Amino acid sequence: MTFYRGAIAAALALQFIAVGPAALAADAASGKNKAQTCLACHGEGGRSVNPFVPSLAGQPPLYVYYQLLQFRDERRKNPIMSPVAVGMKDADMRDMAAYFAQEKPAPVSPASNPELVKAGEKIAQVFHCASCHMPDYSGQNHIARLAGQQRDYLALQLRGFKTGSRPDIDGTMASAAQPLSDQDIDSMAGYLSSFE
Amino acid sequence: MSAISKRGSLAFLILATSASAVLAQATASPMIPPSWAQGRVEGSTSNLAPHPPGMSALPGAEIPLSKIKLPKGFEIALWAEGMPNAREMVIGPKGTVFASTRFVGNVYAVVEKDGKREVKIIAKGLNKPNGVVIKNGSLYVAELSRIIRYDDIENHLDNPPAPVVVFDKLPKDEAHGWKFMKLGPDGKLYFNIGSPGNIVMPPYTHAQIARVDPEKGILETVARGVRNSVGMDFHPVSKELWFTNNGRDWIDDSLPNDTLHRVSRKDMNFGFPFCHQGDLLDPEFGQGRSCAEFDPPAAKLGPHVAALGMRFYTGKMFPAEYGNNIFIAEHGSWNRSKKSGYNITRVTLDKNTKVKKLEVFAEGWLDGEKFWGRPADVQVMKDGSMLVSDDVAGAIYRISYKK
Ligand code: HEC
Ligand code: HEC
Repeated sequence: MTFYRGAIAAALALQFIAVGPAALAADAASGKNKAQTCLACHGEGGRSVNPFVPSLAGQPPLYVYYQLLQFRDERRKNPIMSPVAVGMKDADMRDMAAYFAQEKPAPVSPASNPELVKAGEKIAQVFHCASCHMPDYSGQNHIARLAGQQRDYLALQLRGFKTGSRPDIDGTMASAAQPLSDQDIDSMAGYLSSFE
Repeated sequence: MSAISKRGSLAFLILATSASAVLAQATASPMIPPSWAQGRVEGSTSNLAPHPPGMSALPGAEIPLSKIKLPKGFEIALWAEGMPNAREMVIGPKGTVFASTRFVGNVYAVVEKDGKREVKIIAKGLNKPNGVVIKNGSLYVAELSRIIRYDDIENHLDNPPAPVVVFDKLPKDEAHGWKFMKLGPDGKLYFNIGSPGNIVMPPYTHAQIARVDPEKGILETVARGVRNSVGMDFHPVSKELWFTNNGRDWIDDSLPNDTLHRVSRKDMNFGFPFCHQGDLLDPEFGQGRSCAEFDPPAAKLGPHVAALGMRFYTGKMFPAEYGNNIFIAEHGSWNRSKKSGYNITRVTLDKNTKVKKLEVFAEGWLDGEKFWGRPADVQVMKDGSMLVSDDVAGAIYRISYKK
């Protein structure tokens, strides 16, 4: 990973200049109160311990906000999460997104299978995953943080993008997932979930 | 050359210029590299990525319109708000302004009532409904792969009729699949079928301007070698089609330019993927080719500026020298380390055929390297003022002129 170090520093510096639409007003403190009902599933501070529930801690605020819009407006569907988003107000979404963004991501557990990690690292290079998700996989703007995310959840989402059962907003992830084989997806999920 | 498929009354199609095929089956192979990655320099560590789509609307009071700079005598004001992702606009005979969206699936209608404007959502859940046209009282909407129609729409804004499918055999590619649509003087619907990726050898069904006769369901090619056009209009005098085109990504910050084109005859080919901007051979696809094989653009607009909606100025409110000028909404760059575009550009023509002058007409959406909005389309009102849609702020502005 040393190969990336310089690039990470440069990329982080860039992240603050290159934000997209002017940040919409949000109140993280009030978001914390509003988000209390979420923690039963998403974990303390948004650090999930459930393999099929994603961590939200450290996600870019625009990513969480946009996903909540996607659920509320019934473009992204899930039998557990969709009912939670019904009737949610834009301002509440932005507040909760601001709260989760400032929470520290969960400590990453070491990879159970180093072979997967090696394979995943290679795939990520071939398909430029880090170009959008950032070299440290912390995400940017509307693009998700992937580092340390739940492994089973990641694999499920990648399969969803590939088959279209998880629609993405602008089509980039659908096309990013097309060339991935089943095996590639498992490797990527292993690699990213153990990424520090 | 001949009809090939017949599925329902509207479903047979003819390609005017070359061999025919069912477009719906011509979706580009999924094995081509993902769109944004095509043409990237090997080993590049750039983290440029497409900007977040506009998905929500800025509250009107938070839209910093005072930042917009205009020539002397012009003014900009908020005209309508609360329309997430508002893109292409078209105005109905009764004055309703319709606005499309690319990402959120809505079509909006803005009506004036007691001096106030009210925004209605007349359609929801559509698939990239980016193209809108009004013809004989019907609203035509171009989705990703089909065109639908809402009849007598202005009399049914609160209870729109179920849409009628006009044409549903367009390619299903997501990349450059959304459409800008314009009614031609011949009553046909003109739109883009973009390249199914940043830089690929497109199937002959793609990278073109096409038109459909909405009564007969016949599809024809209008011009080829067009990477992706997301803005077009017909010259008010010559009736020729002019269109904007977005150049490829990842060559570098300064190349290639987005372009403005004039369609002056049949069977024109503007060069994609072999030649860009009329004089730049593609590093890969241009090998062994020459730009002399292709028709050059009418103007270079600047690299990566994302020239979208364009209209001829046909109103009487602006000074006389604005008559038949072209206004272009430049959505602004992503594939460039320093942002460019994010403005409304004015194009003056010479004898209705040549570009004489390009200048920035309105700017200020970009603040340093941050943008708070992005112009997506322009539209001339009956009173001669000009509307500008902004798909990040989710709003429409009105530019007017006072001596
Ligand atoms: C009953 C359990 C449950 C509750 C309560 C819940 N969620 Fe979720 N949430 C889920 C599940 C499961 C998913 C994954 C859905 C999928 O697989 O598509 C999810 C997904 C999400 C995502 C998408 C994350 C990503 O990485 O794409 C966001 C954002 C989110 N939830 C926010 C919230 C917020 C905010 C609340 C509280 C208002 C909340 N959730 C409450 C179960 C829950
Ligand atoms: C061109 C930019 C781009 C590239 C390249 C890209 N992604 Fe994404 N990715 C996105 C965007 C945008 C989203 C959010 C999708 C949405 O819901 O609209 C996303 C979402 C995801 C998610 C869902 C995360 C969550 O919490 O639900 C996963 C997993 C993912 N990407 C993995 C990958 C992998 C693996 C690669 C490389 C094969 C990759 N991405 C390449 C832009 C990109």
